[in-house]
Amino acid sequence: MPSKRPTLFFLLFPFLLSISRSFPTPVNSSRTLSLHKSKLHFDDQSLTLLWPLPAQYTFGNQTLTVDPNLSLVLSGNGGASGIVKEAVQRYKDLIFKHSSKVPSTSGVVYDIQKLSIIVQSDNEELQLGVDESYSLLVGKNDEHSIIGEATIEANSVYGALRGLETLSQLCVFDYGAKTVLVSKAPWFIQDKPRFEYRGLSLDTSRHYYPIDVIKQVIESMSYAKLNVLHWHIIDEESFPLEVPRYPKLWKGAYSKWERYTVEDAQEIVSYAKMRGINVMAEVDVPGHAESWGKGYPDLWPSPSCREPLDISKNFTFDVISGILAGMREIFPFKFFHLGGDEVNTDCWNSTPHVKQWLQDRNMTVKDGYQYFVLKAQEIALSLNWTPVNWEETFNTFPSKLNPQTVVHNWLGPGVCPKAVAKGFRCIFSNQGVWYLDHLDVPWNETYYAEPLEGIKDASEQRLVLGGEVCMWSETADTSDVQQTIWPRAAAAAERLWSDREATSAPDTKLSALNRLEYFRCLLNRRGVAAAPVRNQYARRPPIGAGSCYDQ
Amino acid sequence: MPSKRPTLFFLLFPFLLSISLSFPTPVNSSRTLSLHKSKLHFDDQSLTLLWPLPAQYTFGNHTLTVDPNLSLVLSGNGGASGIVKEAFQRYKDLIFKHSSKVPSTSRVVYDIQKLSIIVQSDNEELQLGVDESYSLLVGKNDEHSIIGEATIEANSVYGALRGLETLSQLCVFDYGAKTVLVSKAPWFIQDKPRFEYRGLSLDTSRHYYPIDVIKQVIESMSYAKLNVLHWHIIDEESFPLEVPRYPKLWKGAYSKWERYTVEDAQEIVSYAKMRGINVMAEVDVPGHAESWGKGYPDLWPSPSCTEPLDISKNFTFDVISGILAGMREIFPFKFFHLGGDEVNTDCWNSTPHVKQWLQDHNMTVKDGYQYFVLKAQEIALSLNWTPVNWEETFNTFPSKLNPQTVVHNWLGPGVCPKAVAKGFRCIFSNQGVWYLDHLDVPWNETYYAEPLEGIKDASEQRLVLGGEVCMWSETADTSDVQQTIWPRAAAAAERLWSDREATSAPDTKLSALNRLEYFRCLLNRRGVAAAPVRNQYARRPPVGPGSCYDQ
Repeated sequence: MPSKRPTLFFLLFPFLLSISRSFPTPVNSSRTLSLHKSKLHFDDQSLTLLWPLPAQYTFGNQTLTVDPNLSLVLSGNGGASGIVKEAVQRYKDLIFKHSSKVPSTSGVVYDIQKLSIIVQSDNEELQLGVDESYSLLVGKNDEHSIIGEATIEANSVYGALRGLETLSQLCVFDYGAKTVLVSKAPWFIQDKPRFEYRGLSLDTSRHYYPIDVIKQVIESMSYAKLNVLHWHIIDEESFPLEVPRYPKLWKGAYSKWERYTVEDAQEIVSYAKMRGINVMAEVDVPGHAESWGKGYPDLWPSPSCREPLDISKNFTFDVISGILAGMREIFPFKFFHLGGDEVNTDCWNSTPHVKQWLQDRNMTVKDGYQYFVLKAQEIALSLNWTPVNWEETFNTFPSKLNPQTVVHNWLGPGVCPKAVAKGFRCIFSNQGVWYLDHLDVPWNETYYAEPLEGIKDASEQRLVLGGEVCMWSETADTSDVQQTIWPRAAAAAERLWSDREATSAPDTKLSALNRLEYFRCLLNRRGVAAAPVRNQYARRPPIGAGSCYDQ
Repeated sequence: MPSKRPTLFFLLFPFLLSISLSFPTPVNSSRTLSLHKSKLHFDDQSLTLLWPLPAQYTFGNHTLTVDPNLSLVLSGNGGASGIVKEAFQRYKDLIFKHSSKVPSTSRVVYDIQKLSIIVQSDNEELQLGVDESYSLLVGKNDEHSIIGEATIEANSVYGALRGLETLSQLCVFDYGAKTVLVSKAPWFIQDKPRFEYRGLSLDTSRHYYPIDVIKQVIESMSYAKLNVLHWHIIDEESFPLEVPRYPKLWKGAYSKWERYTVEDAQEIVSYAKMRGINVMAEVDVPGHAESWGKGYPDLWPSPSCTEPLDISKNFTFDVISGILAGMREIFPFKFFHLGGDEVNTDCWNSTPHVKQWLQDHNMTVKDGYQYFVLKAQEIALSLNWTPVNWEETFNTFPSKLNPQTVVHNWLGPGVCPKAVAKGFRCIFSNQGVWYLDHLDVPWNETYYAEPLEGIKDASEQRLVLGGEVCMWSETADTSDVQQTIWPRAAAAAERLWSDREATSAPDTKLSALNRLEYFRCLLNRRGVAAAPVRNQYARRPPVGPGSCYDQ
């Protein structure tokens, strides 16, 4: 394995030190910003218009021009990566969207003509914990500086992708000069994520999302440096996924056109990987599974009492095994979500053959719930998957769960502290702040929600893998999903990426709001239907005419 | 000029006649459809799932497979057209979005392996009235048929684009076979638009739309065969457009980032042209122009009374001339919209120097309004533009308007009848049914609105160029604009394209609803955020979980 630490930083260290002396670092600055409502706040040079905020950065006071024919020099063991090359093309299209005024025949010399990307490792495997760190330098080649280009150095291709995103946010089209400019150069950025799991869930059962729309969501996630799409594929309402071993299951789809083939799912995974985003699939058992019985009614306790899945039949677990075995070929991510939430066991009690089965084994329905979840965990483990389960499983039988289990919080605050105290890993998704379908949660409540709240011990803190904002789709479909996800998912994304200190002090609120407004407009510029930030309720139209940067 | 009539129709006429005999044409069928709410209505073979409905069509009962490696054979004088080639690639990407199951090494023979496009004319000029007719045949090469391919024949490249859109709607991915299928083949379609002007207006002053978003809107317009984007660029609130002759004008933009360069506007026009869509620009004078004075305060009667534009200064008309001369280089469309609506002349009365000027010229403020509009018309005419004006100009001084003027209706019904009776051409946009910001208008009121209502005389009917749905942006921005435009713009698009008889009878309501739901889901599949059809108010989220095809 190559060194985890980018070497460029050390090569250039004496130089960087001199930059740091010249320009005070704005990180953790304690000065309070005055409240000014005018749109001119974006001319305030104290705002760092990057989202999420990098871990460390310094900047200067130069303005540099960027060549629309920016050349790329790839080096390092990972220098041949197609993932990086494709990403450079995507970002070039984003950065140079507007035609430059200067005719190519003129003798204009741009300050930044070259982008060097150094990738240490040629390992393109994407997994949780892959090294996403990078350093980025943007400087001019003149008598004061040895840097004459933009340089990204990273240990993995995925770190390089994060660096490209940051670079693209530094490059701003200037309508006056008709040129892409980098302000406040030279920039030196040394960045890495605070949490390794930065997720967004998407529920394709309450409404079906066409693959183009899922791709739009994934693409926009990469702009905020989120890295896990938790795909809640199936639920009570519909079963859209093709399962080759049980081909009648997707009879539970809403219609013959609201389905995902195996190839569709593979394409989603591949599209996400190109953007450094993992896809964690979920099969939520034994509740939230009514749609399974459309194809195989035997999975229902009875035709009139359809949920949870029939615990008494071997067929039920055969089907789960068949589904998971098929999905294992699609989803390489090491986690697999088994659900386990909101299990109402009434049907087990009221259906004679199920009740009898439980009695024969001396089980209560609660025992049955535990039995079912653990059996599903075994299936996932046997496929070399780490199980993730919603918190009810932990709340109900914590000592029985497989110790590898990742507990997924949702019901409220305080669950991750309990889970990590018992040695479990945890994902924070407190519904009061991180459920995107809760439209009454303003951006700042999402932003200041802290996954480590109530956890003091450093070794316990390390068990919190990160967090996830959840996009349940009862009232979201293709028409409004991006509007519901953004901008609040970005608020969570900065919480999960950036340093806790830099994003937690009360005096950050105004600058965070202004930066988030800017990022929302950046999403809009990239064609993403992110909603206004200041609205009291999420997903509402703008209240009147006005600038994107003020709404 | 080549013949206006596709020759293929005649070559194949004996064959087509036999199809018509075998399969009853569904046009104007008088049978009533039973009301069934189930999603299975889409299996009802009586529904023709094309939007807008073609002028003439017949179909059969074969199901044909389509080769993902569909080849293109272009011929005719327009056979070298880059517009057609690019469109073919776009539609191929849309049609073959899902991976086909069949490995390319296998020897499966697809029924449709070739698409022939015959374009008679090599004239790529896009204008109002360009020939958009086409014929489309999709048939299998077997003992019953001489056709073994899909064939589009058109007089112009723009007719070929319309034919490609129709073909793409016939090609449906079958999730079971994992192949693109054409059902109910053979198809013979002979199609042309009912009206030559089928517009959507977009207001980029109340909110700024990034160019990517305008492109998304244009792309989606092409799916519904709309052909005019009426770009309401400037209004009171902001002046986003660069005007080289008066470079301070776009100081009236909301911010330095909410602007369109000349190159941006050119790119919009070019992008639209590739999709057969004209761009009609608007400069709304003398009202709705307050933002002009941000850069040139002399254009205001006074700093405290800022609208309408100062009629008393030559500078005002110099600026209008300068703006229009610059825009003439961007917008080749023969119409130019001069606004003229909602002119409140109080400022002219209350500003001493303006009042004095009016008195010196023996004008009332109403005379001043007429003087201003006519002077703006002269400027447009001198640039070889046909002026379009909002109906207030016609309502106030019909006998003074230049006879070339196109009257743009908006205030209510009954205006086009009056305008065409006086020999003016007219565009129908009755706000009660075709203003998309009126969220309380359900799809069917938009759909059954008839531009020719109240006009009996055929020569007067010909003066109605068509109609336009208007997307005013007080509460629309990037986050919700597509959701507000669709699906109701599609309802108007069918009204404007398809035969009046086929779309007007009361018994069409259920089939139109079902077809519109299908088209809305098609938009969703193509990544367009079209809203549910059945909601009582437009732009509302779905009421609960469910199939796209039922909401």
